[in-house]
Amino acid sequence: MRSKECVAMILAGGQGSRLGILTQNVAKPAVPFGGKYRIIDFPLSNCAHSGIDTVGVLTQYQPLELNTYIANGQPWDLDRTNGGVFVLPPYTSAEKGEWYKGTANAIYQNIGFMEQFNPKYVVILSGDHIYKMDYNKMLTAHKNANADATIAVIEVPWEEAPRFGIMNTDENMRIVEFEEKPEKPKSNLASMGVYCFSWNVLKKYLVDDEANPDSENDFGKNIIPAMLGDGLKLMAHRFDGYWKDVGTIQSLWEANMELLDDKPGCDLDDDSWKIFSRNPIKPPQYVGATGSLKNSYTTEGCEIYGSVEHSILFEGVTICEGATVKDSIVLPGAVINKGAVINKAIVGSDAEIGPGAEIGSKAADANNEYNNTKICSDDITLIGPGVKIGNEKKVAVLSMVTADIC
Amino acid sequence: MKNDMLGVIFSENPEASMGELTSLRSLAAVPVGGRYRIIDFILSNMVNSGIIKVGITTPVNYQSLTDHLGTGKDWDMDRKDDGLYILPPKDTGESDVEAIGGIERLNGISSFLNKSKQEYVLVADCNTICNIDFDLVLNSHIKNEADFTLVCTPVKNLSSKDVKKHILVNADDDGIVTDLHVYPSRQITELSYMHMFITRRETLIELVEYASTHGKHQISKDILLPAVENDQVKVCAYVFDGYRKKIDSIQSFYKVNLDLLNKEVRDELFGLSVDNPIFTKIKDSVPTKYAKTAEVENSFIADGCKIEGTVRNCILFRGVHIGKNAVVENSIIMQDSEIMENCDVENVIFDKGVILRSGKKLVGQDTYPLVIGKEIVV
Repeated sequence: MRSKECVAMILAGGQGSRLGILTQNVAKPAVPFGGKYRIIDFPLSNCAHSGIDTVGVLTQYQPLELNTYIANGQPWDLDRTNGGVFVLPPYTSAEKGEWYKGTANAIYQNIGFMEQFNPKYVVILSGDHIYKMDYNKMLTAHKNANADATIAVIEVPWEEAPRFGIMNTDENMRIVEFEEKPEKPKSNLASMGVYCFSWNVLKKYLVDDEANPDSENDFGKNIIPAMLGDGLKLMAHRFDGYWKDVGTIQSLWEANMELLDDKPGCDLDDDSWKIFSRNPIKPPQYVGATGSLKNSYTTEGCEIYGSVEHSILFEGVTICEGATVKDSIVLPGAVINKGAVINKAIVGSDAEIGPGAEIGSKAADANNEYNNTKICSDDITLIGPGVKIGNEKKVAVLSMVTADIC
Repeated sequence: MKNDMLGVIFSENPEASMGELTSLRSLAAVPVGGRYRIIDFILSNMVNSGIIKVGITTPVNYQSLTDHLGTGKDWDMDRKDDGLYILPPKDTGESDVEAIGGIERLNGISSFLNKSKQEYVLVADCNTICNIDFDLVLNSHIKNEADFTLVCTPVKNLSSKDVKKHILVNADDDGIVTDLHVYPSRQITELSYMHMFITRRETLIELVEYASTHGKHQISKDILLPAVENDQVKVCAYVFDGYRKKIDSIQSFYKVNLDLLNKEVRDELFGLSVDNPIFTKIKDSVPTKYAKTAEVENSFIADGCKIEGTVRNCILFRGVHIGKNAVVENSIIMQDSEIMENCDVENVIFDKGVILRSGKKLVGQDTYPLVIGKEIVV
């Protein structure tokens, strides 16, 4: 194997339990986003544009759909003779076999994979953020600063800072302290979960961390504090573009809707930094004589005979005559039948909404048995993948429907 | 499943006259249907039928075609064994002027035909838009123990102008072809040859060798007609009665595109129920954005468009921008064209990258649409 200066590792094994039914059968990075993408398209496309051609994707929770989606990496130009994309599930060895216990342990278990490429640097990414970032700029800063580790940070509003891992830095952006979800933050520079390490340094810390039975084997909780404690040179790398964690139904809904803004924070229509995805083999979308679309994002294979406003439709969605879709996200293959009303909802893949049904209803007689305010908030209603809603049924706002309502 | 048949596609057709649309590209590379090129249909049909080796003859103007096809990746034809072969003309040192007939083109790819291992060969023009399963044609060819099988389609009430573009076929009750009428002046039969046939690869090589050393040019007149007239040779007809339209003029091009506004045509042509999709080059365009001011009716729209104005009965290709208060009707707008604010456009065909400045009005006839050439700024 030829040496690589830098290898990227994407942590894609998380369940993303706060996305509820959307991640019942798929890992969070495989959740659809923005009309024709999956969340993992963002770090993979960033790697492709940053010139990183060797990428490991660490999977664990419900990996089948993600594996099929990534396959040989061809959509991201990662089908390489030398390097490319590798899906890395946990495995057993002669001594033992175990699941990935934490983010650091997942990388630890793949030391052998990375050693094959003899890298100088390793970039660690997570598979659950929406952003366009040139990792090469961060790597250059890391090299110029002669750092042991460089952590990408983004300014967040002060009142939101307590939700993040906060980096306290000196005037040269050297990290002096790391606080996980501080009650009284001293800084508003939040860690983006994007790390660049010098490989020989990281390897030593991974081995030491694994030997410590009390460790949670987590980058934020263990590796970074240990490096800081030993006085290593950790730099913060400021990123000032759009970055959004889509870990909850509300943030997923918001991130999608932000694409419809007049000047979207994350402009996908950018020829110099295209987000690649595995494209469906579908004909163009058809808008019928009775169809109407306002302020919406739609893609190939859709057939639209109803009215759609401020919504995102994924491939192969059918909106029948007289149906109304507003402030909603309709995932691939879903069918909204005649006269149905969809209000501020996320409709799962291949779900079918019956004629005259109402989703996100505030009527007193609406079906409220799937009310789930743990997962749903901000009046968003969630219909699970493949779920069928019968004729004229009303589904109450803030429901997470996991089974057919007939 | 793969079958034992080689595909050969002609990227040009001397009988087609497409004016401006083919001045910079081959017929096979003419954009059609929002995100496709003409060749995508016949090539996808072959791939979906289990054909794993396809050669495309490219006598002239093939830059945009090779750019579109690339390695054949988007058709899953980038293979170690077989796959997609683009076959530019051989430099024979002689003038090319006469080398326009199908026989010269097949003779020009004789080494490709010789080196292939498939038992059968399917030879087809590129410009018929349909969704056909050639595996069924091959099965019928084998079952009939035919020497040639011609793909034919029923035709009715052809005008005296149209009939001259057809090769009409007489077939008996067993489907055996008894006569061919090449470009007749009146409608003699109700079966028309679709310019696609199957034979044995070895047979084709022999006949092409014989025909080209005897000064022959045309496949229909000089190979198929003698075969029909020879009692020792069995020529069968395979009748395809699905949607099919030949693109050989601006009018037929315009008609095929607008036919896609019909749901039955779309469902059949894009193989939605039988899962025989039409593949094309992937561009990673963003989804199409409809602005608050968009009014869209009965239109077929590819990804990457931005629509702020009114669009009725149109085909929009990838990356088209329709400005505010612009009204576009009954038009075909190709990739990356832009119609700015307050324009009024009716019955036009815009080639790729045309820009229509604010406030302009362009109107063609529905029987004679106005064509604006590639990258022209109006």
